[in-house]
Amino acid sequence: MKRVLTGLGVAAIVAYCLIPFYWMVVSSFRRTADIYHQTPLPSPWSLESYAGVFDEGTGFGQALLNSAVVAVVTTAVTLLIGTLAAYALARLDFRGKNVILALIIAVSMFPGALLVVPLLKLFTSIGWINSYQAMILPSMSFALPLTVWNLTTFFRQMPRELEHAAMIDGCSAFDAFRKVILPVAAPGVFTTAILAFIVTWNEFIIAVTMVNDVDRQTATVRIAQFTGAAKFATPFGTQMAAGVLVTIPLVILVLFFQRRIVAGLTAGAVK
Amino acid sequence: MTQAGRTRTPWLYLLPTVAVLAPLFGYPIYMLGLLSVFDYRQAQVSGGEPTTFIGFGNYATLFGDPRFWSILGQTVVFAAVLVIVTLAVGAALAVVLTRAGHWPRLLLSLAAMAAWAAPAMTGSTVWMFLFDADLGLVNQVLGIDGFNWFYDRWVTFGVVGATVVWHSFPLVMVMLFAGIQAIPVSVREAAALDGASEWQSFWRIIVPMLRPLITIVVIQSIIWDFKIFTQIYVMTNGGGIAGQNSVLNVYAYQTAFGSSEYGLGSAIGVVMTLILLVVTLFYIRALHRTGEKL
Repeated sequence: MKRVLTGLGVAAIVAYCLIPFYWMVVSSFRRTADIYHQTPLPSPWSLESYAGVFDEGTGFGQALLNSAVVAVVTTAVTLLIGTLAAYALARLDFRGKNVILALIIAVSMFPGALLVVPLLKLFTSIGWINSYQAMILPSMSFALPLTVWNLTTFFRQMPRELEHAAMIDGCSAFDAFRKVILPVAAPGVFTTAILAFIVTWNEFIIAVTMVNDVDRQTATVRIAQFTGAAKFATPFGTQMAAGVLVTIPLVILVLFFQRRIVAGLTAGAVK
Repeated sequence: MTQAGRTRTPWLYLLPTVAVLAPLFGYPIYMLGLLSVFDYRQAQVSGGEPTTFIGFGNYATLFGDPRFWSILGQTVVFAAVLVIVTLAVGAALAVVLTRAGHWPRLLLSLAAMAAWAAPAMTGSTVWMFLFDADLGLVNQVLGIDGFNWFYDRWVTFGVVGATVVWHSFPLVMVMLFAGIQAIPVSVREAAALDGASEWQSFWRIIVPMLRPLITIVVIQSIIWDFKIFTQIYVMTNGGGIAGQNSVLNVYAYQTAFGSSEYGLGSAIGVVMTLILLVVTLFYIRALHRTGEKL
């Protein structure tokens, strides 16, 4: 009896996890007229919603491209400077290190919605509205602390002998870092890159505030505004199709790198 | 390496990060504090009227407004319920994962990771579609066509909450699962041999042994759920009917942008920052206790 109950509970939670995905994918392949059908599979299958997503005027292709630009540039810059900071925090001894670590944690807790109020004023006055940098720079407010914290934990777990050996062989500290530590740390850096990419790709508040030009909007913002784009029918079909398109890159990343992502997520929390 | 070089080098490594983060947070926090003590609205933004210093006037307005207290109250209640549900679901599944076979475990963790990675935006639209009043799947299955899930305040919070938990329990599950895996198998087996039920061994063994980790997960969830924005903003169209589903984060944003009350919005922001700061201090202390070098 107890086992049955447990089984039912687990089944309910798995359904809770999966049904929204399943319904999103299935509904995205229905015709607009069939959008409320309850058949487990679309009949007939249709690409109408996908055609709707890429209709002229919705600019969704451009929006996906904008999302990619913002997420890739943010991730790249974040990794470049975050790796250096994390190395110093993990390996070098200096005064004020604990303060810096505490500050990194504190700023990562700061709500993005509060950040954008003053930043919008600033960016308006320097003409940055509707620019990529107006999304990229604020996105670093959450991507960079995440990166630094994750990599710091990761670097700490690596054996110290690595750099010692390199430095005995005559490498400078920076060379030891670049030629010895970084290659060994590549998996951790890579995992952190995926995490940074996912959180930036999903970002909504900054993008919706800093950009009002349709040509510069990111995909998450564009989906929210589909309501106005579909004139003839409820926009659920296009929203589902767009949802599939926005989520696919992330699901692929998760499928391929599940183990590494899990390891990255638990870094610092589990010893 | 010289002594001076030794002390300077770390700061060279940190310089780029500090150069980005310091202004990125310093300027907005400074401006929030500054604006919160000025009478600053649309008229001042457009330069039509001079900005006047009103000291704690915005705070007085805020603390005298019953709406502020009701939003603060429902933010706390909403966040508290979300934290509890997220933890219950996450912990239950973490235990299930440890006992599941290879394939169920893989399936469940993939499904959970996908829910974690899905944009809050996508999750919101899918859940709104499922709970659509006219012909949404949920209403059709339950046979309650026309029932509007986004009308009553607490029913709305329920649906939005289900969406938020859908996004946030996977992280809790993964962290707790990793924690349970780190408990020596012999300990768990010994409990089973002594006749402990799954329920007992969860409360008597797993919870006490993972207390530091659980503390961290709880505080992270509190911080996360306290600053929910996207789901509320999207699913209730900016805070629900007459703003009944607003939470602090959305309220601050709407007051500043929606009503152009930048001064008042900043004051809400400052209050919210102070609350989060207190929670964060607990978080740092909890991290410190787990032996994280800080």
